[in-house]
Amino acid sequence: MFLIRTLHKWFGLILGLQFVLWTISGAMMALLDHHKVSAEHSVREPAALIVPADTLPLARVAEAVGGPILALRLKPLGDGFVYEAATPSGVKLVDATSGRPVAVDAARAGALAAAAFSGSEAVASVRKVDAADVETRKLPLPLWRVEFADAERTTLLLSAATGDVLERRNNSWRLWDVFWMIHIMDYTKRESFNHPLIITVAAGIAWLALSGLILLVQSFRRRDFAWVLDPVERLRGGPKARVRES
Amino acid sequence: MRLPALARTTHKWLALIIAVQAVFWTLSGLYMTAVHIDIIHGDHLVRTVEPRALSMAGLVEPATFAQSGAKSVRLETQLGKPVYVVDAIPGHMLFDARSGALLSPLDEDAARDRALFHYAGSGGIVKTELLEVVPGEIKGRPAPIWRVEFEGFWRPTLYISPQTGGLVAKRHDLWRIFDFVWMFHIMDYEERTDVNNILLRVATWMAVATSLTGAWLLLYSFRRRRRARKAAA
Repeated sequence: MFLIRTLHKWFGLILGLQFVLWTISGAMMALLDHHKVSAEHSVREPAALIVPADTLPLARVAEAVGGPILALRLKPLGDGFVYEAATPSGVKLVDATSGRPVAVDAARAGALAAAAFSGSEAVASVRKVDAADVETRKLPLPLWRVEFADAERTTLLLSAATGDVLERRNNSWRLWDVFWMIHIMDYTKRESFNHPLIITVAAGIAWLALSGLILLVQSFRRRDFAWVLDPVERLRGGPKARVRES
Repeated sequence: MRLPALARTTHKWLALIIAVQAVFWTLSGLYMTAVHIDIIHGDHLVRTVEPRALSMAGLVEPATFAQSGAKSVRLETQLGKPVYVVDAIPGHMLFDARSGALLSPLDEDAARDRALFHYAGSGGIVKTELLEVVPGEIKGRPAPIWRVEFEGFWRPTLYISPQTGGLVAKRHDLWRIFDFVWMFHIMDYEERTDVNNILLRVATWMAVATSLTGAWLLLYSFRRRRRARKAAA
């Protein structure tokens, strides 16, 4: 027991700060409402559009794309339909009735985001993202970052290739993400929780918790529970119980 | 009560309540960090397929799906053949892109063929079943769904949609263990999804108090020895 107490103390001294950080970041993440953090209600369900009967035939699509097509999608984009062709050199968008190429430029990205946004606030800024940052990590680049003028600074991230809304961010997420960074100990990219540092510290902290649990056994004496045990024993008929105790 | 005694008493009483959960938190955390998330996701269970160029000649025109109430149409290759995956108002449908024949809902053989096509392991299929209610390990996915379990120590399982022919999910025991320890980590023992449940909120703030009183206690835990050494010197 003395050894375990010493180990508990020293593990606490060396790793204790991370344990404090884990409990605080964990408590904060449990406190921040996940529905708000994930901006669940920031994007509205799009109106169901039906594929137009005068959709361009495949031969014309192949011509417009002008190269091998690996997969093809006919999907709504804004008010109309487009063909989204996956090609070896990337995604190409073609208007589904005229056959003209469609580019997702700043104006179109802003309009698509405004149509998708469930709030009434205006677009505050539209910016192209070519290099991954904390907000756009793990998403395919390039993309358009469209920020709205609401209190939460809701931001929609749209693929510059397909025009799809790939991700939503807001101030709740930005705050949550700081605690997430602290929790997973990935202070630069905030994405991996499988690195040697966290595995090592987690093993040490697991021991800290386990040794603490073991120490509990010897940390409590009967007198710690006298406030509940004494009345119980008195109820059971006093003297006998007192004999057993000694 | 003197301060060291107060620190010790609060720390041990808080610990009495939270210690078992703290052990769960740290052990589940250790598992989740030690086993790489790509392995948990089962990326190694499926082959990466190099997509081949589609030949457009002789295919049914996408415009024909206007009458079936299509919201979007996808032309892709499944088992080497061109197919249309149609998201229509009544639901998803799968068509042969050459003949226009409706393929969905897929029968057992078609589901097995697709599972075997995706599976990267060497073992054969142990069991194929059509589930009318989705199991907890793929909750949120549409039912009915084909469940194809393969031979292997970790019980690798692929889920194939009878409506789209697509691979919906891949599961194995390392994922199932992850999901189980995640349940202990977030203390949602029913749905395993609610990270804001009241039990977790109370327990985490108690853990904050426990770790802070532990840190406070450290101030007194190392002093006596230093004094002893000074006395000896």
